[in-house]
Amino acid sequence: MRTRLILAAAAAGLLSVPLPASAQTLTVITAGDQNMVDYVRDYLGPQFEKTHPGVKVVSVGTGPGDAGSQKIYEKLAAQKAANANAWDVDVMVIHQKMAGQMVNEQMLLAYKDKVPTGKMVTSQTASNSLGANVDGYVIPMFQSQTAIAYNPDLVKDVPNSYSELVEWVKKNPKKFGYNGIKGGMSGVAFVTGWVYAFGGNSDKLMKGPYDAATKAAWDKLLADLKSFNQNVVITPGNAGTLDMLNRGEIAMGPVWVDMFYTWMADGKLPPNMKLKLVAPGMPGQPMYYAIPAKAANAKLAEEFIALATSPEVQADGIVKKFNWYPGIDAKYLEGKLDKASWDKLFADIKPDDLSSKGKPFPIAPYFNDILESYEKKVAN
Amino acid sequence: MTESRGLAILLVAPALALVIALFLYPLLFSVASAFSDPATGELSLINFQKAYELYSIDIAYTLFIVVAATALTALAAIAIAGYLTMGETPWLLTGLAWLYRWPLFIPFIVAAQCMRTFLAKNGLMNNSFVAMGVLDPAQTVSFLDWRGVLITFVWKQTPFVALLLAGAMASLDRATIEAARNLGASRLRALIEVVLPQVGPTLMVGSILSFVTMLSVLSVPVMVAGSQPTMLTVDMAFRINAYGDYNVANALGVISYLMTAVTAWIYLRRSVREQRDGS
Repeated sequence: MRTRLILAAAAAGLLSVPLPASAQTLTVITAGDQNMVDYVRDYLGPQFEKTHPGVKVVSVGTGPGDAGSQKIYEKLAAQKAANANAWDVDVMVIHQKMAGQMVNEQMLLAYKDKVPTGKMVTSQTASNSLGANVDGYVIPMFQSQTAIAYNPDLVKDVPNSYSELVEWVKKNPKKFGYNGIKGGMSGVAFVTGWVYAFGGNSDKLMKGPYDAATKAAWDKLLADLKSFNQNVVITPGNAGTLDMLNRGEIAMGPVWVDMFYTWMADGKLPPNMKLKLVAPGMPGQPMYYAIPAKAANAKLAEEFIALATSPEVQADGIVKKFNWYPGIDAKYLEGKLDKASWDKLFADIKPDDLSSKGKPFPIAPYFNDILESYEKKVAN
Repeated sequence: MTESRGLAILLVAPALALVIALFLYPLLFSVASAFSDPATGELSLINFQKAYELYSIDIAYTLFIVVAATALTALAAIAIAGYLTMGETPWLLTGLAWLYRWPLFIPFIVAAQCMRTFLAKNGLMNNSFVAMGVLDPAQTVSFLDWRGVLITFVWKQTPFVALLLAGAMASLDRATIEAARNLGASRLRALIEVVLPQVGPTLMVGSILSFVTMLSVLSVPVMVAGSQPTMLTVDMAFRINAYGDYNVANALGVISYLMTAVTAWIYLRRSVREQRDGS
């Protein structure tokens, strides 16, 4: 009897969660690591509740990586298939791959032009998500970027481009390190940048259309990469590269910029380390704010995203607290950010560099071609 | 008679069901997937061809690492177990007996994490040598490559084999050892010529179990060494995470099965013979 009561109570509890309470509830669902959930719950949510009395922001996380976005998709796809009139998610934070798929399946609301900050978005990735046209449906929450980190005590003649890096590595064998393609995305980004630099026609890789014959032209650049690898250290992972930079075992290596600054703030990297975004550019990736096509509180959701992408929040929350690059054009942040934080993020990589040399990853089929060609012709 | 047989079947049924559901079914499923063309679903060797094209070096590397680590583990275990059996310095014996089991209780991933900072060029080991004046900072080298993987495996597996071996040696008839010593054999000679032949089967079982364990470890090659070349476990994980390609991952799995199959065959042959001799 008692068990049954408990079960009934539990069932009631489970059922009651998704129902909108009498006061309005804004549901924000986030793919990504726990820090993103915390960001909404502890930072954005309270600010929004202050300006919108009676609204409660609920933050839900679905886990890191594309798998986290996949869960959001499955939840909404089920509601779509059931012809529900109002979906129980108002704002979502998703990865690039899923944004394209959801636009294609008409699951997103075109809201960008309805929010005032929509005009401040200039990055390529805001309209092109790994080959899919997502213009109007998303605003980047942040942009994360890869770059070459180096120790200025050991590197005097800092390379400005991939070609100069090749020369530098010849002169300084085993002083450059990256993690191959199986040890994390910073190495994948480095290899992608290599193909952009020496393959020609990198626009086609980023925008399509896909042509299976393209990879045949990569033999030379992959052979060059193989001989380049003879003089570099293959590190164990994203963190492995940072570790070796910290211990002075390598002088240069590709890293995620946000990881770089976070490690530095934690005292795990010497404070004099610097970053360089080499020409023609290296890839980065955003995460997107999006609104489901039938969000129950679409109007509130727009206001929430307007706040989240306002120059103030982008400056204080995204840049200062989490070391990401802003999702809106960095020039709107000037003056909103204290000088120290501005200098820190843009000291090495200027906003102009970021918009000219911050590239997207290639469209999915080219992306797989790059990885597999590397495995076949460089690693094996 | 039939009643007791029925009962016996009933008793083993849960265990059998578990083995079938959690081992036999996935095994057959992965073998089937390895031999089918992902495009057509027909029987094909295309996944093995791709596995060879992309990972031939990694296959050889994996075999080398595991064979070398097994051999070194066996040597280290013989040294430890041998000293525990024939050693004559009481405090050394107590100390060794107390110390050598520690790595048994440390998971592979923790061992790998420790080795990452211990074996690095400017890691704890080299820094200690430099502080002692044994090495010059310019002479230090990083062991975070195949040597690091080898060292981690041997460090982690030695206690396991040594434990089995020391047990077997302790249960030997000491008279044989003492006879050899009385006739003037050195301790080393008595170990090699008298003790080892008697504990051979135990050493082999311990080595085979280590071999199979090391072949399946993902964390150590991922964390200790860079990915070129790397072990098959890393390639399998990458095949699935980067491409969602289970077919080639399963083909690599089948290649690993073949490596373990050789040792399993030796193991089974040995245990069948033992049973026959015993009965």
